[in-house]
Amino acid sequence: MNVLVWREKFLRLFSDVLFAVSLFAFWGVLTFIGVIIDQGREPAYYFSTYPATLARCILRLHADTIYHSNAYLGVIAAILVSLAVCTFRRVIPARLPPLRAVQIEKMALNARIAWHGEEAVLRERLQEFLRSRGWSIRLRTLDAVEWTFADKANWARRGVLVAHVGFVLIAAGTCVYWARGYSGELTTMVGSTVTIPQTGATLHLDSFLYQIEPIVTKGGIVYQPIDYVSRLHVRAHDGVLRSATLRVNHPLDLDGVAVYQAAYGVATQFRVTQERHVLAKLAAAPVQEGASFVLPGTTRTIQYARFVGTIGSDGLPTLDPRPNNPGVILTVYDGATKLGDVLVPFGRDADVGGGFVLRPLQTRLYTGYQYRFDPGIPLVGVGAFVLLAGLCISFGFLPARLYARIDGAGTSWSLSLAASTVKGYLIFEEQFTALVQALRDAELPIVT
Amino acid sequence: MLDQDLFFTTLSAYLLGALMLTIYFLQPTKWTLRCGVAAAIIGCLAQYADLTVRYLTTHIWPLTNLYGSLSLFSVMSVTLFLVFAFRYRLWFLGGFVQWLAAGFLAYASTWNEGSMPAVPALQSYWIKIHVPLVVSAYAAFLIAATLSAIYLLKAGFERSLQRTAQNDVSEALLAQRLSGGTPNIERAAETGHQIALWLNTLPSLPSLDIMTYRVITVGLPLLTVGIITGAWWAKEAWGAYWQWDPKETAALLSWIIYAAYAHLHTRHAWRGIRSAWLSLLGFASIIFCYLGVNIWISGLHSYKF
Ligand code: HEM
Repeated sequence: MNVLVWREKFLRLFSDVLFAVSLFAFWGVLTFIGVIIDQGREPAYYFSTYPATLARCILRLHADTIYHSNAYLGVIAAILVSLAVCTFRRVIPARLPPLRAVQIEKMALNARIAWHGEEAVLRERLQEFLRSRGWSIRLRTLDAVEWTFADKANWARRGVLVAHVGFVLIAAGTCVYWARGYSGELTTMVGSTVTIPQTGATLHLDSFLYQIEPIVTKGGIVYQPIDYVSRLHVRAHDGVLRSATLRVNHPLDLDGVAVYQAAYGVATQFRVTQERHVLAKLAAAPVQEGASFVLPGTTRTIQYARFVGTIGSDGLPTLDPRPNNPGVILTVYDGATKLGDVLVPFGRDADVGGGFVLRPLQTRLYTGYQYRFDPGIPLVGVGAFVLLAGLCISFGFLPARLYARIDGAGTSWSLSLAASTVKGYLIFEEQFTALVQALRDAELPIVT
Repeated sequence: MLDQDLFFTTLSAYLLGALMLTIYFLQPTKWTLRCGVAAAIIGCLAQYADLTVRYLTTHIWPLTNLYGSLSLFSVMSVTLFLVFAFRYRLWFLGGFVQWLAAGFLAYASTWNEGSMPAVPALQSYWIKIHVPLVVSAYAAFLIAATLSAIYLLKAGFERSLQRTAQNDVSEALLAQRLSGGTPNIERAAETGHQIALWLNTLPSLPSLDIMTYRVITVGLPLLTVGIITGAWWAKEAWGAYWQWDPKETAALLSWIIYAAYAHLHTRHAWRGIRSAWLSLLGFASIIFCYLGVNIWISGLHSYKF
């Protein structure tokens, strides 16, 4: 008994549109928080951006990764449950009601027209009139009264169902990705090969080209990136080596895994010396922008903050990213304490303390790729299409129903007419008035 | 040069149209309506011509920056206004829409950096599909918000008149108010109250509410298809159809608000004042998504790579 009561309570709550809208509101609030709070940053970022209490709140409430938080996933799950319950308990009964007798005079849109003549002629004329205006007619005898039901856009009553199914399909497609898909990032330098771990497909970067144009604007010169291209040799699971070109907006398909041109940077090879001795281990490989290395035997860390394309005549970095008079910006840390930034032109030495000297020697371009295997995409695509179709049907068509009954005797009859739509009566008021007027004006002959 | 001329022609036409239709709103006469509508049509034609000229002279799609997109937003707002006005006789709205269109166009000019080639992420045919769709949705929501504001103005005035005439709580009056009528405004108009006279020329509150709903039901599918095409494009450009980028997410927020509107509007008790406020909230979220995110929040849509 108790279970049944609770079940009924649950179904009543979840089939309430206002409850659904509260879920929407909660979803909206969480989404808004995600927009205004930078997502996925290090805790230090939040402490440096917000007051400490707020930063602690952000981290504790997972507002830094809100879209993957239990609250976010929970509200979407609740929306799906509510949608399912509501569709069966409310939408279907409301949108697809059976043909039944109504109290015409109690309906908001109603009219009565008097008729002198034969009943059969009136019935026939009425049906002809409605059919000629696109209404489809169904006749039913209910409680010994003959009713004429006329529908317009009856099929469109299913629009809401279609929209709801579309939303469910999108959610299902997303779950397919969580269950079976994967994604990742790869970074590679010119001349190197990287492997997609899940499939074993390889990408060898032959060359990476980029084009940056100086454009004169009203606010000064802007250096606009125009193109990024990776020329590759790729080997998919068939083992055949193929040449390929990868550009932004033109992903590559490797065994069903899509690979995207995602980033680029300038790696730099440093010569590191301590008391004039070259530290071979540190000087061996080029360092990518943002990467750090520790000076041996010290607590000092050097971060290669970024590449500077052009150092101006005043010795400061300019906005021009093209390598004319290049240099690097290094950030020196002692433990977690930042000691400062230093701009070092290529071929020049920088004393970073403790007897260590760094010299940027050569550059090598590197590029970043994103790869993604998403078997849910077809489902999401179909869902999006279905959702859109549902919205267009729901909003583009107005299913309306006319209820007509004829009462009287002999040659004196009256036609009672009422109308309802799935969106209330106001939206149909004008059309109903026009319809009744047309009925009155029609050469039926019908007289008031 | 032609670009500049067309820009100023558009701006002047919108300002003239706004003035004429505002006068029409206050004192409906045929000639102010005709002038206002003619100015709106001329403004639209000049602005479409301007966008075309910019494309033909630079061969750069004019919607790759905020100037181009705001420019399209203002012309779409006026175009949609004309479409709805011809269909549903919404001429009283024209002054407000054109003031806003002129404002957005003037604001757009502050972002006019001249013609710049597009960054790689924007070099896609999707920009030609996605941006016009999204901007058209925004324009529809602008019209809906203007209607809602007028609704709230009328409903608010009715309420304030009701408060001052509190001793009159006759049943007839109450019934009229419950069915969405504005008996106090009607009565005040009869005594020559100027504001009441203006408001009385407007459609009834339920009609305004239904019109807002109609416009939103055009905007919501447009926004949906805009988000879908954006996701499709994102899949090509960034590797995933959804990256939780602030712009995408802000668009989702607007979508949620308008979906909530559509659901609330199925409930009789929630039509009217509450749904009008929701429509305004929806438009605030649109402006946040359109301008706020571009200006204050960086993300993939800052089109760096
Ligand atoms: C919490 C989940 C949801 C619930 C409980 C729910 C429930 C409902 C209900 C009860 C109606 C009114 C049906 C009627 O009066 O005949 C409706 C209408 C509608 N729903 Fe949903 N819905 C949900 C989510 C969605 C979503 C995510 C969409 C996607 C856009 C959607 C699209 C629609 C549309 C287009 C309508 C028609 C509105 C109109 O005709 O103005 N619903 N929904």
